[in-house]
Order: sequence, then C-alpha cells, then structure tokens
Amino acid sequence: MSLELLKAAADSNQWWALAPEVMLACAALALLVLELVLPRAEHHKIPLFAIAAQAIVLVGVFLNFDTNWLGESTFGGLIRHSNWGQIARVFFVLSSLLVCFLATVCLPRTRMPRVEFYHTVLVVTAAMMLLAQSDHFVMFFVALETVTVGLYILVSYFRDNPLTLEAGLKYLVMGALSSAIMLFGIVLLYGAVGRVEGANGAIHTGFEFGTAAAFLQAHPDNFLAVAGALLVLSGVAFKIGAFPFQIWVPDVYQGAPTPVTAFLAVSSKAAGFAVLLLLVRNVFAPLQSVLVPVLSLMAGATILFGNLSALTQRNAKRLMGLSGISHAGYLLLGVIASFTVPWAGGAVWFYLFTYLLATMAVFGVMAYCTGENDADHELDTYDRLSRDRPFLAAVLAIGLGSLAGIPPLAGFLGKLILFIAAFQAHLYTLLAVAIVGVVLSIYYYFGWIKAAFFESWRPAFSTETATAAPRTTPSLFGTLTLALLAVATVVLGFFPGPLTSWLIGK
Amino acid sequence: MTDLLFLVLSAVTLVSAVLVVVNRNAVNAAMFFLLSLVGTAGLFVLLDAYLLAFVLILVYAGAVVSLFLFIIMLLDTRPEAQKPFKKMTVAASLLGGLLLFTGVLSLVLRFTPAPVGADPALAPVGASLKAYAEQLFTTYLLPVQVVGFLLLVAMLGVIVLSKRFQEPESRSQNSGGTA
Repeated sequence: MSLELLKAAADSNQWWALAPEVMLACAALALLVLELVLPRAEHHKIPLFAIAAQAIVLVGVFLNFDTNWLGESTFGGLIRHSNWGQIARVFFVLSSLLVCFLATVCLPRTRMPRVEFYHTVLVVTAAMMLLAQSDHFVMFFVALETVTVGLYILVSYFRDNPLTLEAGLKYLVMGALSSAIMLFGIVLLYGAVGRVEGANGAIHTGFEFGTAAAFLQAHPDNFLAVAGALLVLSGVAFKIGAFPFQIWVPDVYQGAPTPVTAFLAVSSKAAGFAVLLLLVRNVFAPLQSVLVPVLSLMAGATILFGNLSALTQRNAKRLMGLSGISHAGYLLLGVIASFTVPWAGGAVWFYLFTYLLATMAVFGVMAYCTGENDADHELDTYDRLSRDRPFLAAVLAIGLGSLAGIPPLAGFLGKLILFIAAFQAHLYTLLAVAIVGVVLSIYYYFGWIKAAFFESWRPAFSTETATAAPRTTPSLFGTLTLALLAVATVVLGFFPGPLTSWLIGK
Repeated sequence: MTDLLFLVLSAVTLVSAVLVVVNRNAVNAAMFFLLSLVGTAGLFVLLDAYLLAFVLILVYAGAVVSLFLFIIMLLDTRPEAQKPFKKMTVAASLLGGLLLFTGVLSLVLRFTPAPVGADPALAPVGASLKAYAEQLFTTYLLPVQVVGFLLLVAMLGVIVLSKRFQEPESRSQNSGGTA
C-alpha cells in the first residue's frame, strides 16, 4: 500500500463522528481517576458522576441528531453512520443509564467494589454503540468481544454468591463458544470472498460488509460463504438467546446480579438484534432463500420454547429470562419480515423501546424487593406487595402488563406493529405461532401480578417467612425514575406517533 | 533446500504434536507443545510470513506455554493420575479424524495450483513489520483503541473478581467522615 493511500486512510479517522462513544470511554476512565483522587468519604458521589455523564451524552446525541456524517462511512470504511446507528446510540445510553440507576440501588447492599462496575457498564455501552454502527468485520468482532468480556465480569460480579459464580462460568464458556463459532463464520466468508481489486488500486477483502454483500450477490450458492453466513448468524443467536442456543439463559439470568440481569435482558439482547438487522440488511440480503426458512424455524421454536418453559416457573429472574427468549422470538419475526418489508426494521426498534421501558420498570421493582441474596427471588417474595408498597405494585403491574401486551400499554402497540409487518410479509404460520405464544405469556405474567395483588392462602406457620421478605423503600430519585418509566409506558401506548415517526418514518 | 527444510519442519511439528497428546508427563507434554510451535513458526518463515512467525514464538512460546508450565507446577499433577479414554471419546475422535481425512483427500484431489507470482505488487499485509504497523496506526486505529479498552476492562475484572475487597476499613473511614 502506498503512502498516499495510507494518508487518505488516516484522514478518514474522524474522531468527532464518534463523539458519544469517545465521551463515554473518557467518562469511564475519569471514574477510575476520581476513585484515586477523591477522599473515601466522597466515593458515594462517583455513581452520580457516571449517571450525569451518560445523561450529557444522551442529550448530546439528541441535539446533533442526524445532522453530521449521516449515511457516510468514516475510519476507512470501518464505521458507517446511519439512522439506525443513531437510534441504537439513544437506546444503549438510555438502557445503561437505567442499569446504573439499578446499580445504585443494589450495589451498596453487597461488599463489592463499586466504581469498577460503572466503568465496565460505560465501556460495554460504548462498544455496543460501535457494534451497531460497524461496517467491517474487524471492527464488528473487536466491539463484540469488548461487549462480551465486559459482560463476563459483570455477570460474576457478586462473587460471594455461589449461584453468581456458576452463572459467570456458564456465561464465560457459552460466550467463548459463540464467539469462536462467529469468528469461524467470519473467516469462512473472508476466505470465500478473497481479494477484490477496486477502483484506484484499493484492495477490498471479505471483511468489508459491502464487498461481502457484492460477492454474495454474484455467487448466492457459494457453499463456503453460505456456511460462513449461517455460522455468523448462529453466533448472533447465542447473544439474543434464540432457540437452539438458549440453554445458558435461565441459569445466567438467575445468578447474575439484578442490574446485570437487566443489562443482559435489554442492552445485550438489543445489541444482538441491532447486529442481526445490520447483517441481514447490509451483508446477507442476497441469501434470502436460505436464511428465511432457517430464521423462521428458529423464530417459531424460540417463541414456543420461551413461553412453554416460562409457564411453570416460580423464580422471578428465571421467569424474566425465559419470557425474554419468547420476546426474542417475536423480534425475529420482525427481522424476517425486514427481508421483504423495508419498515419492519423500525418496528423491531419500536418493540425494543417498549421492551426497554417495561423491562426496566419490572427490574426496578425487583431491585427494591430483594435482599442481599438476589438469586433466590421467588414469586412468593411479592406476596402482599400491593398492601405494603402500593406504588411498587402498580409499577410492576404496568411493566408486566406491557410485556404481556395488554391493550392500552406500549407493549401492545409494539407487538401490533411487529405483527402487521409480519402480516405484510405473508408470514401467516409464524403469526399464528406468535399469537399462541402471546396468549400463553398472559398466563405467567398474570401469575406474577396475582402474587403481588391477591393474598394467597398459606398455612399459619409459614406466614413469618412471607412477611420477612426484604423490601426497601425507594428513594425520591428512585420513585421518580420508576414513575417516569410507568408513565412513559402508558403514554407511549396512547401517543406512539413521535416515536414511530422517528423509527419507522411513516 | 526449501523443500528439505519444509519436510524437516513438518516432521518436527507433527511428531511433537503427537507426543503432546500421548505423553504421560504433563511438563514433557508442554515442552513438546513448545517444539511443535517452533516447527509451525519455521513453516511460517518459509512462507515469508516473518511477523506471524515472530508473534507465534513471542506470544505462544513465550507467554502461553510458560503459563501452562506455571499452572502444571501449581496443580502438581502426577503422571499416573491419567484416566483411560472413554468409549465415547474414542468414537468422537475417530469420527473427527475421518472427517479431517475426507477433507484433506478432497483438497488433494481437486487441488489446482494458483498461478505463482501473478501479483507481485500485492505483498501480504502481515508479511513485514512495517506494513503491518502502518496499517495498525492508520486504517485499523479505531479497533486498536477499542482493544485497549478491552484489555483494560479485562484487567480490572480480574482484579475485582480475585482481590479481597477491604470493606471494613472503608466503612470505618466513612463513619469517621460522616461523624
């Protein structure tokens, strides 16, 4: 490569284009410095700094929204700035903001260092934002590994608890396996594409999404490339917890600390779907004839498995994990529809936003209803919640209702828009499966609501254990956050216009 | 000369790889693994991939194998504590070997040699240290930075997950600060 080409490559490293990610990374470093510099008595202010920094980044992303660099690629084709990339930035910052809020509730109960938790959350969030905007398999894999390594640490963070350690080990082994599978797929694609000489002497390889897509367009029946694509998608399926790759979900969700479970359920799953949409739209679009049947089978099995296994579940965190599998199934429906219906990708993002609000509300209530050992979180913990803490019970009911898809709430609209997209894409069989799944989900979500609102009969000798369930009174900040999430879920159900017009552009 | 070197290096690599598996002494197995890596690095040198050979020696032989040796010393494994293979393992390895054999056979039967020296201008990026470094600091600058954060997070994680957290001290200092 000549020196001029190298200079051109260096000139395309536009760091301002990645200002939100750079700011998050700098804030993460600043947290560590603050811990060194501040006296110990001031250390409780460091989480507030993390939250403030994320709020600034969120406002910053909103302010210079779709003005600069939109549709361009920077960093020599490693990053492509798109509308979905901006949506992903907003989503991930919002989600990690709420995870940090949950951490301020849960972390002080344990004897673990705190600052490193926020540091890791910030770095992982920045990596997820890069992941959703990557346009090159090297960038893609590096960002994905940063996310995964950060999550390994977060999952096993409460290492005093044996269940947490088990979850950490399982997540480590399964995550490493999925990364290996995905890397193997990327290498197969790279090998199949080989070297392509472009205009003015530049050499393109299969690492670039555009070059790989052009190769697949020209040779849609190349065995190596198709095998590579399937392996890459299997790796992504591990991250979203779709059917044959979902075995890690219940144990890891149960053992991980509550804020991390929320992070896995919302950010990690959304990162998986951002990647899936990116790949399906930019790279694997020519492989429609192979991928649609595979993904359809996966979606149907995922919906049925998630809902059926959640039916008899009494542990709240396992229930969230298993029902999260079924949500991944509904979202896969949208991904399949996006092959033929262009706006289905926006529907997936809308569903993810409603899922974010509802899930974070439920996890917020869970954070206030557990003691130090948050892995043994049975539904019985919620007995008489409506009498003791009516506010928490109301937030829980709104969150669960939205997850189940009860009409006036946002979750209903999310499902409706997703199903309309699937209907337009003629996925009738999958739609029937999804509707059966939704009906099944109402049973277990309402089992949880029933546990919180209706007193269950229990023999006299066991009442003491029920009343001994630890419940913390939310602080003013916590009350405001939970109320905001619940109100947003209700309001979005009635006025989805602004969000849908931004995401779908109708 | 090159052919002879190739044969010798391949033989060294393969024989020591087999010895890694069949050796009963874990330390000897690790040393044979080292020898196998040296053979592989030599093969890379024959392919003009000097940087790859260098990195292989530096990272695997220098860091990974010495880590293995440390762990073997710490675990204090005895040579006789080796279990016999399970039937399932034997069946799986036979199946794997058969698949590998089929793959190699099909490669040999269908092999068409690429035109040698078709594109002398296109030197592989990983061949020389200079070209590699130029790529790292221009085209792939962003992934390099992200990898830096990855390593930082991994290091912090190891510290957090293994170091004893001194809560009592900080609590006493906290109470002193608030009092």
